[in-house]
Amino acid sequence: MAQDKPRIILRTEGLANPRALKTYIEHAEGYTAIKKVLGGAVTREQLIEEVKASGLRGRGGAGFPTGLKWTFVPQSDTGPKYLICNNDESEPGTFKDRHICTVNPHQVIEGMVLAAFAIKANKGYIYTRWEFQEEIGYLVEAIKEAYAAGFLGKNILGSGFDFDLDHYSGAGAYICGEETGLISSLEGKKGQPKVKPPFPAVSGYLGRPTIVNNTETLANVPWIVNHGAKEFRQYGTEKSPGSKLFSISGALVRPGVYEVPLGYPFERLVQEECGGYLPGRSLQALIPGGASAPLLTPEEVKGLTLDYEAMASRGTMLGSGAIMIIDDRQVLAELLKVTIEFFAHESCGQCTPCREGTGWLNNIMDGVLGGTAKPDSVERMRTVAKHMGGKTICALSDACAMPVTSYVQKFSGQLQAYLAQAAAAGSHVK
Amino acid sequence: MSEATQGSVETVTFTLNDREITVPKGTTVMAAARLKDVYIPHFCWHPGLKIAGVCRFCLVKVDNRPKLEIACNLTATPGMKVSSVLPEVKEAHKWALEFHLVNHPLDCPICDQAGECKLQDYYMEVGKYKSEMDRPKVLKPKALDIGSELVLDTERCILCDRCVRFEEEVTKTGALGIFNRGDRAVVGTYPDKKIEHNYQDNLVDICPVGAFTSRDFRFKQRVWFLKDKPAVCPGCSTGCHVDVYAKPQVRSYFRLKPRESAVNGFWMCDKGRNTYKHMNQEQRLRFPLVAEGSVARRKTTVDEALAALVGRLLAANKEDVALLVSAQYTCEEYKTLFDLFVVKLGVSKVYQWREPTEDLKAFDGLLYRGDHNPNTRGLSEALKAAGLPSEVNNGFDELVRQAPPLVIALGPEVAFQFPSLPAQLKQLEQLPFVSLWTIDGAAANYAGLKHLLPMKGFAEKRGHYLNFEAKVGELADPFPAGSDDARDVTEVVAALGDLFAHSL
Repeated sequence: MAQDKPRIILRTEGLANPRALKTYIEHAEGYTAIKKVLGGAVTREQLIEEVKASGLRGRGGAGFPTGLKWTFVPQSDTGPKYLICNNDESEPGTFKDRHICTVNPHQVIEGMVLAAFAIKANKGYIYTRWEFQEEIGYLVEAIKEAYAAGFLGKNILGSGFDFDLDHYSGAGAYICGEETGLISSLEGKKGQPKVKPPFPAVSGYLGRPTIVNNTETLANVPWIVNHGAKEFRQYGTEKSPGSKLFSISGALVRPGVYEVPLGYPFERLVQEECGGYLPGRSLQALIPGGASAPLLTPEEVKGLTLDYEAMASRGTMLGSGAIMIIDDRQVLAELLKVTIEFFAHESCGQCTPCREGTGWLNNIMDGVLGGTAKPDSVERMRTVAKHMGGKTICALSDACAMPVTSYVQKFSGQLQAYLAQAAAAGSHVK
Repeated sequence: MSEATQGSVETVTFTLNDREITVPKGTTVMAAARLKDVYIPHFCWHPGLKIAGVCRFCLVKVDNRPKLEIACNLTATPGMKVSSVLPEVKEAHKWALEFHLVNHPLDCPICDQAGECKLQDYYMEVGKYKSEMDRPKVLKPKALDIGSELVLDTERCILCDRCVRFEEEVTKTGALGIFNRGDRAVVGTYPDKKIEHNYQDNLVDICPVGAFTSRDFRFKQRVWFLKDKPAVCPGCSTGCHVDVYAKPQVRSYFRLKPRESAVNGFWMCDKGRNTYKHMNQEQRLRFPLVAEGSVARRKTTVDEALAALVGRLLAANKEDVALLVSAQYTCEEYKTLFDLFVVKLGVSKVYQWREPTEDLKAFDGLLYRGDHNPNTRGLSEALKAAGLPSEVNNGFDELVRQAPPLVIALGPEVAFQFPSLPAQLKQLEQLPFVSLWTIDGAAANYAGLKHLLPMKGFAEKRGHYLNFEAKVGELADPFPAGSDDARDVTEVVAALGDLFAHSL
């Protein structure tokens, strides 16, 4: 029987000097996985197979199988290939990758060496959002240590395998967390997603094959190499194996970042890890996977487990694991306005439905809260959101449309109250 | 099947709107649709530019795939079944257009694009008619001075990115970018920079809306009053295929636009666009001007003018007659001219009239060539056919030195490409007698020129030019001449031939 609460990622959390290379080596099997792989005990193909067998899914939000993604790099191509760690963590409500950078950055670096070996990349970048200045410092320090110890650079551990790793940061934009937006930014261009196909695995950074993996995803790889896919699968569910970091915020006694197995009951996370709700507060709505995830009602939250399938069955998503507790004191209409405003501000502006749709929804919400919106505005928001979905290069348009749709469907009462008030006062636009 | 087995090009066959279509492998659904005359609505896709995939208008449904996909970036695969007409696709098109119109100012009554605007066209075709937008619009900068030929209205702009790609891919200047994000995004130049190249008006052409307007054309005419006919640009030896836009009932020309061809692709240069102006009333020579004996130069009829010329020719020895010929007339005109003068009348002094400062080898790498004549090759071939020296040279100075008693001069049609023309006309004034055939109204200012015949412009006659690489450009569908007295060389020569026949 596996441990109830595995430590796959946050292995050095709580230790003195958790970020130090020494700590990682002494307490978290640090850099033993690359010794195993680069020492020849595991071939490139075996490594990919093991990660595929582990069922590891991308932890950035989309949940795409990691091992499968690696196989998309055309191995007939002998030119340069790139590995990028997506440490942009821009989804509102998410703060788990910065926690990894704070407590265990070396495991990300080791994961990158392994992933790079798997896809035959000799150059990698960690792309961190601008706002994480402290964490950027931790990463740069860790990279320096790893180079000094011979875990990065030319001929790592005498294996003949070269892997150079740099850190890069954009100017701070939500859309640079989308992998092709990130690549544009890394290329020195305006951070906007690229039309697909071609996909980055075939034509990414500088037009070369590129794999972009999330920080947490990469941090899983050393553990899988050391312990095997079978042991990894002892945690989590059939379709969502392993552990997951959840960044949980809101009116809780101990909000924060927690590593629990996928499939963990939501209520248990709230009660055991987070110490329950703050006194006198109760759940009004739940945002289970970042600002772009459809909201759940307290009724829908009953019996909710934290895995990809349970979320999908309720019409929402696990996303990056950003759980936001919306308690009964929050004004949902204002929350919706803030959410829409965020996406309207962050839309890169290239696809018409997103550029115009996010701004339009924001415009309507201004009217709703300001008492100038027409009485049928809620219905209008529903239609606008509907036609913004699934029609753009990246998912930002959907990310704005989904919460709007769920809000209008499940919580329209508050919006209607605003509209009724405006109608009674005669202030709405006729 | 026959198409697939012919030649070496590998093909794929797929179904578009229940119609089987075979196209070369790698063709996108959008390009295939264009090849087969199926129209899929779009703003950002342009056959001469790379794929941007941003307007999200060309959505189509592929059988057994969950989401609608954009036709411009969808490669056709064997057996694929695509629809651009299903109700869900039509609904998507309606909404794609609605999103484009949300912040569009709808100032069609004062917009030059009105009548040839894709927003208007699609509104009629797939519009929702009842707009859902009832909120204040986003306002953006208007009437921006962005280049010598251009005015930009960022509020009308739908951010299709065509202009940005044109500047990156075609002129390679990268002069334009899209700045800011979301619904605050605007197209523009970099700080303190303007667009300075010779291809600016292509931005007006490819702009599907009225964001880029032409300084030359704006506020002059509603496009639905214009008639367009195909022609060939006379501005240089590339010979871009063009459409000439005119309002024949008032004998006015308004603009030239490129017509897609193997010669010029989709583009033409700004210099070439100006080659309609000399055909307008205020610039052209509208009637013959003749000085006869002691009678001062006066306006005459064409018949009188030709009779006077024939009289002079009959009185002259053939050794006294010389032709001065610019390379801006058609192959047919040269042939009839040389048939009469060289073959029949035995005139042997034929001089080429070229601009002395021209640089024949110059080329801007895109379209514009240093030889500013549309038919240098045609003139050479006609000279050769007439048994005369045919290599390109400038015989103007030699003619002036020889000062033959009777000169027939075919003046350049596009005078602005001949910066030395005023000086050269002054020199011609000094010669005993010059019959200048020209469309250039400025020639009338040279009182010493005793015989001026008004000519037709390139859009007013039939014939062919041979461009720098001997590709044929055809003038096939002329507008009525801008002046009743205007003739082409063939007509003048035919009339002269008749007069000779009667006189002999």
